[in-house]
Amino acid sequence: MISQYSGISPKGDLLLLQKLGEELQDRSFLHINSTRAGGGVAEILQRMVPILGELGVKARWETLEGDERFFDITKKMHNALQGNMEVITKDMWEYHFDVNRKNAERLDLDADAVLIHDPQPAPLIEFREDGRWVWRCHIDLSNPYKEVCDHIMRYCQEYDAAIFSVAKFARAMAVDEFIIPPSIDPISDKNRDLAQEEIEETLARLQIPTDRPIILQVSRFDRFKDPVGVIEAYKLVKKYNDCILVLAGSPATDDPEGAVVLDEVKEHVASDPDIYPLLLPPFSDRDINALQRIATVVLQKSLKEGFGLTVSEAMWKGKPVIGGATGGIPLQITHGVTGFLVHSVEGAAFRIRQILNGPEMAQKMGELAREFVRNNFLITRQIRDYLSVWYALENKGMSILEL
Amino acid sequence: MGEVATAFDFKQHSSIVKATGRHAANLRELRDVIAAVSDDSIFHHTYQYFLKGHILEYTNDFAQWAGENLEERALAERLSNIDPYEFRNITDLRDELLRTIDEYLEKFPEPRAAMPGDEFYFNETISLTFHVGIRAQNLAEFLLAIKYVDMGSIYYHFYEARMRLGGGVDDFSAWVDNVLGKRDLAERIRSIDLFMHSAEGIREHIILEVEAEVKKDMEIISG
Repeated sequence: MISQYSGISPKGDLLLLQKLGEELQDRSFLHINSTRAGGGVAEILQRMVPILGELGVKARWETLEGDERFFDITKKMHNALQGNMEVITKDMWEYHFDVNRKNAERLDLDADAVLIHDPQPAPLIEFREDGRWVWRCHIDLSNPYKEVCDHIMRYCQEYDAAIFSVAKFARAMAVDEFIIPPSIDPISDKNRDLAQEEIEETLARLQIPTDRPIILQVSRFDRFKDPVGVIEAYKLVKKYNDCILVLAGSPATDDPEGAVVLDEVKEHVASDPDIYPLLLPPFSDRDINALQRIATVVLQKSLKEGFGLTVSEAMWKGKPVIGGATGGIPLQITHGVTGFLVHSVEGAAFRIRQILNGPEMAQKMGELAREFVRNNFLITRQIRDYLSVWYALENKGMSILEL
Repeated sequence: MGEVATAFDFKQHSSIVKATGRHAANLRELRDVIAAVSDDSIFHHTYQYFLKGHILEYTNDFAQWAGENLEERALAERLSNIDPYEFRNITDLRDELLRTIDEYLEKFPEPRAAMPGDEFYFNETISLTFHVGIRAQNLAEFLLAIKYVDMGSIYYHFYEARMRLGGGVDDFSAWVDNVLGKRDLAERIRSIDLFMHSAEGIREHIILEVEAEVKKDMEIISG
């Protein structure tokens, strides 16, 4: 499987993976999260565990078992860590701990390194046996609801280290805190190269015309993604350049506001036949891939964003992306080099026009964007970082490590 | 061009970023944290700036933040003009950063604060270095190799080497000078302005210089 990345991932990353694999040969590496299917964490683990195995590391992946009440509680925790005010009662905290205790009895927690993903299994640290324990937080912690965050952080303090996606998500804690951004998988259906026929098949099925440049935003119909702002920007552009707008998103079943936002979008679309709001079913990875490849300009005009990996996905396809200057987007887009960062509808419109009218600039930006993703946001880099953290913990106190 | 006794053994740098847990929302806070933060963090935000794929407007993270997020462009220009390789150690570099900020604060005592979310986060890194498994025996092999290796290798030999070797010397020019005895080429490599290029740009300049030298050597042989 690792050989599939040869010629795609940077040579140095693959070599370092091999060397770290040799250093950590036959040692055990246990990952625990809360679900085997659905969500970015499970998606990455599905790919990562077999790759670790190929490198000679004995990798295992376990998931928590919990009932509806448990996952209702952890959903509230998740929302609170992202800034919502949620009340988690003493009973709920106890239940959270209790479910973890039962899982600890069921699971084999004996490993040389244990990576616990997100808050659901965080209390497992109380049942550690041996090895290095690291808590991996995938959530945007830049503005958490303090009471809930403080409680979770009490567990985190007991780990050997914590990992956050962005520096501003890190907390002031007594344990080592590493920054490891998320990544995309270049050989998954969402990102692999597509044959022209595959792209054409998607466009025909979705009835998207290709006679004019396509402006695309892929995101849930969520106010923070500002789909209405995208439509307004498109309307400003349309005065000067003929183009079509595609807004592609999945129905947000866990988000009651999703339907309301979609209605707002439809209201704005009403009389314009060149706007295509697409409600794609879940797992429409190949269709999204095709849309990103055919688009002339890709937008991620978020007002608030966790990391916003859709930006890297489009950049990987050689597209200059116009992104809202929020969350992890500025870490992916270097303004004026690999795309544009914008702060307003007018800014988005202006940059769209620049790209539509400057195909050479757009192509150059797109090439640089793809290289930037190659060097920074591919799954092989993320695996390299996890193994590097483990290796660094084994050599604690050293800031330069020779392999 | 015969084989030489000491081959150039390409190594590469990779790193993982660690948060220090400290951040600054305005210039005074930036100043106070620079005064107190670890040497590793100062090193990361100045010397390791060139690990980024692109050269931004300024030449270190502090200058970039002052210019872009605080919009204190005059300060950004002054901070950008600080050459970290001129200092013997991090303490001296730290003092110069502080002196520059203090001087600015005396003239402009109330600089604006960063917008929420745009604070400066102090990080540091743990470096991992490893052999790439590529060895150049002569200049022609070196030329092939330098086109092939990753950017992390260029960073290790051209930027990071200056800290190891001192005196503005990098691994490439040291090898060309000491092993191949080509002082002119070594000096041309040394004179590439490391602040004005990304590691990729440095690679292109070295290729141009080495290619010209290899061509010249071939002409002498055929002549």
